[in-house]
Amino acid sequence: MAPKYVIVGASLAGATAAITLREEGGDGTVTLIGAEHELPYERPPLSKAYLRGDVPFDKALVRPAAFYAEHGIETILGARAKRIDPSTRMVELEDHRQVPFDALLIATGGRNRRVSIPGADLEGIYGLRTVQDADRIRKEIVAGRRVVVVGMGFIGSEVAASLRQKGLDVVAIDPSKTPLFHVLGEAVGQTIADLHRAHGVRTIFEDTVAAFEGTRGVTHVVTKAGLRLECDFVVVGIGIEPAVELLEDSGIHLDNGVVVDEYCQTNVSGVYAAGDVATHSHPIFNRRIRVEHWQNAIKQGAAAARNMLGRCVPYDEIHWFWSDQYDANLQYAGFHTTWEQLIVRGRLDSGSYLACYVNDGRIDAVVGLNRAKDVRRVMPFIKSRRAVDLEELRDEGVDLRSLNASS
Amino acid sequence: MATEFVTAIKTSEIPVGGVTAIDVRSTRIAVANVGGTYYAFDDECTHEQCSLAEYGELAGTNLTCTCHGSEFDVRTGKVLAPPATVPVKVYPVRVVGDALQIEV
Repeated sequence: MAPKYVIVGASLAGATAAITLREEGGDGTVTLIGAEHELPYERPPLSKAYLRGDVPFDKALVRPAAFYAEHGIETILGARAKRIDPSTRMVELEDHRQVPFDALLIATGGRNRRVSIPGADLEGIYGLRTVQDADRIRKEIVAGRRVVVVGMGFIGSEVAASLRQKGLDVVAIDPSKTPLFHVLGEAVGQTIADLHRAHGVRTIFEDTVAAFEGTRGVTHVVTKAGLRLECDFVVVGIGIEPAVELLEDSGIHLDNGVVVDEYCQTNVSGVYAAGDVATHSHPIFNRRIRVEHWQNAIKQGAAAARNMLGRCVPYDEIHWFWSDQYDANLQYAGFHTTWEQLIVRGRLDSGSYLACYVNDGRIDAVVGLNRAKDVRRVMPFIKSRRAVDLEELRDEGVDLRSLNASS
Repeated sequence: MATEFVTAIKTSEIPVGGVTAIDVRSTRIAVANVGGTYYAFDDECTHEQCSLAEYGELAGTNLTCTCHGSEFDVRTGKVLAPPATVPVKVYPVRVVGDALQIEV
């Protein structure tokens, strides 16, 4: 009998898996189940071009509406999966429908962390994850209004930039020393702080939000250090938690998301995970990594689908992402948590630089501001794990494609 | 408007493995030199309008727009990797002496 492929999460990872199953598979049914009502869409525009009203929602769709039926992909949208039972091979939806599977992909993504402080239930405090979240924020966008952005990770930084571009008065607050501090470190993070300040954002670091005040809607943000910031609305971007509730008691191994091996498979045979929800064993970095970025959603979704088809292809992508803020293009590739040396090509204060996070002479990760090509050229060295000549790496006169590297 | 071949650039001005942008009849066109064979296409990436001459990285006939990672086949303009979904427009070329002509 034709196998039943079921994907829980009509996300970018989920949709990419469905498309890959169809394009590279043979027979079998493909069912894509999503809690949101919209067809699968890409989230990067939600904090940038879509938030600013520069592109319509259709541009964010992973595929046009007609594609799914044309390619024999059944979509069940607006239906949240409630429980997965690996023993009976059944997905149970909140409306009690039962969907049987032979192979299952979990691509449920994450949900926004919320602040639990006084006033958190006031109106005018928004998170940003879905297109509906973006639409709610868009209704607040009027030049001259005052917004406080809580959290200067990627979402907070991009939202702050987009709202400044729309002429709002933006205050951004983060408990770290700089934006993106935990990913990029202080020296690089400082350049992003400078970027925002140069565009007129008031930045507050090493302070946190203690309370929101207002009668019905939020009117003030009070910080631990005692600041009281007037505002018309607030956007909170303090990270996500993997959406794994439906797997509790399933026997599927959970630890910071759904734990999968390098073949995207969980401890339960035939059950896979991909995208923001998956903590995968990375064969190049030799550790478990959970990645919340666009490229991973696509590449891991496709890789999981190939493994669902029995191909046994390890997923060893070098993770990469971009973050456009104002006119600046920030890119990161690789993986690092700590580093012995930060090798900078160009100058950090110049608005265009490449910075490599180096351990044992090897580049673990690279970040570039307005250095898109250079980031691309460093990626093969991250993948090969070869030590490189650090003086050459630093030297703008040396073509990165011909860096000396150990054999 | 009828198209015709227009002399655009000297072939020697486009390094092997390189991409150069030129204005031809008020259209910004990028030309890639793939081992001595030339391909012409719109300079603007169909994703978010980055210049393919400036941001494009060529590997064989595959062109990566390094801004956001879209990949195109320079022979056909076909999208090989997202985020772009719309093919880039390609133009016929011919070499006459040391001149590269593009049909626009």
